This record gives sequence, C-alpha cells and structure tokens, in this order.
Amino acid sequence: MTLYAMGVDFGSMTAKAVIVDAERDVVAAEVVDKGVLIEEGAEIAMAQALASAGLRQDDIAATISTGYGRRKLDVAQRTITEITCHARGAHHLFPEARMVIDIGGQDSKVIVVDEAGHVQQFAMNDRCAAGTGQFMQVLARALDVELDEVGPLSLEGDDAIVISAMCTTFAETEVISLRAQGHSKPDILAAVMESITKRTMGLIARVGKRSPIAMTGGVARNIGVVRALERRLGEPLLIAQTPQIAGALGAALFALDDARRGIRLPPLEPSFRGEADRLVEPGGKGGCSRISTPV
Amino acid sequence: MLAELAPPPTTSNRLKTTAMNNRMVTAYWDDLFAAKDNGKLVCWYEGVAINPLLQAMDISWCHGEAWSALLAAKKEEQPALLASEERGYGRELCSYARTHLGTGILRERGQIPGSPDHEHIAGRAPAPDLIISAYPYCSTGQQWDEMLFRLFGKRVPVFNITLPYIWGNGSSHAYMQGEEFEDAVKFLTRQLRECVTFIEGVTGRKFDWDRLSEIMSYTKKAGELRLEAMRMCKARPAPATFFEWSISIAPVNFLSAGPEIVEYFEKLNAEIAGRVASGTGSVPREKYRLFWDGIMNWGKLGWMAEKFSGYDACMVAGRYTHMGFWQEPQVIDVDDPLEGMARNYLTCPINHSAPYMIDRITELCEFYEIDGLVMHGARTCRAFSNPQFLIAQEVSKRLGVKIAMIEGDMIDPSFYKDELVNSRVEAMLEAIDARRGLI
Repeated sequence: MTLYAMGVDFGSMTAKAVIVDAERDVVAAEVVDKGVLIEEGAEIAMAQALASAGLRQDDIAATISTGYGRRKLDVAQRTITEITCHARGAHHLFPEARMVIDIGGQDSKVIVVDEAGHVQQFAMNDRCAAGTGQFMQVLARALDVELDEVGPLSLEGDDAIVISAMCTTFAETEVISLRAQGHSKPDILAAVMESITKRTMGLIARVGKRSPIAMTGGVARNIGVVRALERRLGEPLLIAQTPQIAGALGAALFALDDARRGIRLPPLEPSFRGEADRLVEPGGKGGCSRISTPV
Repeated sequence: MLAELAPPPTTSNRLKTTAMNNRMVTAYWDDLFAAKDNGKLVCWYEGVAINPLLQAMDISWCHGEAWSALLAAKKEEQPALLASEERGYGRELCSYARTHLGTGILRERGQIPGSPDHEHIAGRAPAPDLIISAYPYCSTGQQWDEMLFRLFGKRVPVFNITLPYIWGNGSSHAYMQGEEFEDAVKFLTRQLRECVTFIEGVTGRKFDWDRLSEIMSYTKKAGELRLEAMRMCKARPAPATFFEWSISIAPVNFLSAGPEIVEYFEKLNAEIAGRVASGTGSVPREKYRLFWDGIMNWGKLGWMAEKFSGYDACMVAGRYTHMGFWQEPQVIDVDDPLEGMARNYLTCPINHSAPYMIDRITELCEFYEIDGLVMHGARTCRAFSNPQFLIAQEVSKRLGVKIAMIEGDMIDPSFYKDELVNSRVEAMLEAIDARRGLI
C-alpha cells in the first residue's frame, strides 16, 4: 500500500510543507512566503504540496506541525518543536552532521545531534532577532537592495568596519548612519555578516562545537553569511538546496513514524536516507559545501 | 501595557498545607503595614536573613526582595518600577532593587498608587527608621542601601555588612570548611556583633540575647523539618515541587520565627509523608523530573507550576530552594547563634564559585533522579545567572541530563516571553523522550 505523511513548518515569515512516502522519499516540498501572521500561509503550502504530489488530504496518513504557528493547525495530529524537527530533517539530509545551525525568520539556534538525529543540546538567541531572516529584510530595505542581493554584495566588501550594536530595530538607523559616513554598501554588508557570524559563534560556544556542521533555515541561502561562518569555523557547511524545508521534512519524518506505528509497520532503519540527495546539489561551491543556488 | 496571556489550566495537585503558609505571610505583611501605628521602628534590609536580630529587639522589617516578590505576585509592581525608572534607574538594573527603591520614591513623594477603591500595596510599606544591607556577591545589593539612604534624605541610619565571596573549591576555602572559610566566618561574626551594637544605638536598649536564642531555636527546628521533608521528595511521583518549596521559603527567611513556623513544617512533613505512602504526586501524571536553576519568577509562580504540570513535568528541586535558606540548621548554636548565622549567610547560593555549585547540583540531580535542567536566566540578576552556562554544560556532561535555557526575571514581567519558553521547554522534553526511545 502507499503511505504518505506530511510535515508543516508554520514559521514566522514562511510556511513550508513536505510530503514523504512510506520509504521516506520526498514527494513534494513547498515554501510559501506567508508566515504565522497570515493565517492561510500554511494552508496554501499544504495545498500546493498536495497538488504537486498529485494527492488529496485523505491520502495523508499523518501530519505533524512545527514552527511558531504549530498549534494553529487543526489538521495536525500533534506538534513537535522546530528544534527537534530541524535536527531530524538536517540529520536525514546529512547523517554525518553532528551540529546543526538553523537561522530562520525569527530566531537562530545551534543544535548538537547524535548519530540517530536526536537533539543532545541546543542554544538559541534569547533577546533579539539580529541576524535572522527578519533582520535581513530590514537591512535590505535600509540599504535599498533586493533581499536576494544582500549575500552576493557582501562578498564584494571587506569587514574593516566593526558593527557592535546589531539590534534589528536599530539596524536601519545604524546602516543609514554608516552610509552617511561614506561607507559602501558592500563594506557595510560584509561587516554585518561578520557580526552575525560572531553571534552564531557565541551560540556554538554555549553547547561546544561539533563537526561536521549542517546549516538549515532561510538564511542558509545567504552566501554572505555562509562564507563568513565557514571562514570562522574553518570548515565547510553542509547545506541542502532548499535549506528552509529541513524543519518541515523533520516533521514529515516524525509523522511517517507515527503512521507506520499506527498500521503496525516495522520502523525503518535509522540510517535510511531516502531521497535526501534530491535536495542537495553534490559538489557545490566552496569545496565540500553543497550549496546550489545561494543568493 | 503588556498583553496578558491566558494562564495555563490548573492540573497540579498542590499541597494543602501551603494555605497555612499563605495565611502566615498575609499576617506578617499586615503587621508590617500597622507597625508605625503600633509604635514600632521599621528596618528596611536586603540580602541574607538578618531579621532575627530585628525580631529580638521588636523592630518590624521589610525585606527588599520579599517585598518586591509580593508586589510581583499581586501584579502590582508596575507603579514602583515606573517610579524608579523615572528617577533614572535603568531597566537592566536589579528589579528587586528597582521595585524596593520605587516603593521608597512613591512614599517620599506621598504618592499612593492605585484607585480610591483599591490602594496598591506599594503605597502601604512604612518608611524605614533604619537600613541594613547584607548582600553576598552582588554589587547592586551592596549599593542598594546607599541609594535608599540618599532617597530618604540622608537621615536614616545605615549599617552595611560585607560578606566575603567563597572562591573555588580549594582546601582552604571549601564549602563550610577550610582556613579561608573560617576566617570569613570570624569576619562576618564580628560584623554581626557590630550590627547588634548599631541596633542598640538606634533603639536605645540593650540587645535581648535570650530572645535571639529563642528565635533561632524555632528557625533551627523549622530548618531541620524542612530538610527532612525535602529529602522525602526523592519518591516517585514527587509529593512536592520546587514551586511549593519556593512558597515555603518565607517561614525560614523573612517571617517572624515562632512556634507557628515549626508547626507549619510539621504539618507539611506529615502531608508529604502521607503522599509518599499513598503514592500521590504533586504533578498527577509525573513523566519527567526536572531541576530549576535560577531565582523564581515571582509574578509567574503559579503560572510556571501549572505550565510544567501541564507537560507532566515535575520540577522536583532547584538551586534557589535546595541550596539556600537554612540548608545547614545544624550550625545554629542556640546559646550563641551569631556564628551559626554567619556560616549560613556565607553559604548563600550566589556566594560560591561555579565548581562548588556544579558539584552540589550534580549531587542533587543524582539524588532526585533528574532528567533535565531548566536554567532560568533572570535578566536583571546576573549574580545568579553568570555561571549558568558552565553549570549546564558540566552537569549535562556528567549526567547526560537535557537542558533548556529560558529567560525571564524575578519581578519585571517585560523580560518574559511565553512562546520562547514553551519552545525551549518542549524541545528539552522531546530530547528526554528521544533518549527514552519514545519519539
């Protein structure tokens, strides 16, 4: 019989839905730019995923939701935090990873995972959204550049400027002030990337660095942040083609476990990797770093 | 104005005896509010429990942190916090101090916050006739009395007690032993004798040593009973939680010591023993056993108790409750109590280095069979939260327990973000489930 399970990550800025089949193959993965504040975001993501897979809601044996809006979805049988789901999703994509850096729309986290993909420890930003997707949006607006240009443009600058105050609320003021002092957009962006990196290194220090390191979340698509982090870490990051869907993928895998238990199917081997490679472009830029289209 | 979230539904099975504690606490505050009418002097003090010295001389007292906790618990801290902010005390400064100072500011201004049909409690604290500060390892605490002194027109006499920090775990300065520790005990005992002279000067009366002995005999007995009851909570399910132990700090900290505090812990012990015998837990479906590191968020005590009970998680013990407030009642020599009081004051859980705290927390986690640590970083008490990363890393490494770091505060509700707390706690419980093969 054909068994499908769905994971929905209803985040602060985007909604993601992933459908997996009984063998953990991803049959659909959708990202919609509508976050928790827009009620229908998750519904659109789910509808698109079902359409993409050629399935109906009734075909889905189990659904698990995650993300800040996880409790808003009636269709989900249960919720699991984004921390646990990103760990599971990242581990599925990169079973060798022992640490996951996830920077999403609202928060950043560093997760230590064991060989089974279970969370060992984690650390999260506590007080502000500096360096997250929301921060990037504010920054792009302040510099009058497209969001997609932020990463590539930062690579053209140098980080001679040191930015210490990285509050999202004050970012606009700070960036305008630096522009008024005559600093170029690339130089400002390079300094911003460096500052985000320092914050992330602080989170890593809290739990103790492990290798290899996978990166998930929308900010993993920002080549400026990725390169700055890799420089600091001294090693390449493992990044999937669509890093935002790691949380929804993890939720879908947990949902599949539930569905298999529900119909008394034996559990799959923990090392089974499914269609992970479909989401990864092998041999991407920067040595082992597998980024397909960073922006 | 902060948005008020709906409180978690009640699921916990709280100890009945704590109602007696609530009555004692209410009676204590009512006595304080009536102190001036009853012709009594009032002392404002902060830090460790020097109140037996005041009780022995029939002086009423207002403990700064207990007072601030009361306002937070009653959701009446805002007028005092605002008053102190208006005076220039920034919101990153200790919220205990800001609330206490704000109360003083309101009193000096003659402002009674609230409405005619509901006068806020902040307006009811009688002004001090003397001020004593005895704060271990906290720079704000050591200046708090200075601020109060200036606030009340430099006319209220002040006595400041210095508590040496107990560094490291070396043989000369270990917990309750070693040459450096003994020197600190002598230094502190000397200061307590000087404090007695100060009190005699303010009251114009000779100190009543017999009364102090009697007071400390009640505290000693209450402390012993409290430890006995705490140890019974090793049982599964645990008959009482950290939140109930937080409530039960008052009788061994700032309430008047008398036969009723002994009676309270006798009744508490009996109820706990009964629960152990019947297998009754404070959290009805105890699935996880947790340890709380950090000061309580006093405005959310019931909230937190219900939140964790809702997760089937029992907060069995904590650094604040299980490493402070008379963990060493045996050191009280009722015939000569000052030295024992000094020893106790030096063992306050913010007066020790991380190595000692890590060892002690590890012992507690092993004894109570803890699955996870909730590290509550009080935003405005860095004295308490400074070593939390070290504690979390090391205890986790030693025992494999899971960690959730959450932010909040003792008093100021603006630092608490419910959804951030939920995500971190739920992720920790999921990690515990994963370890048990349940996810």
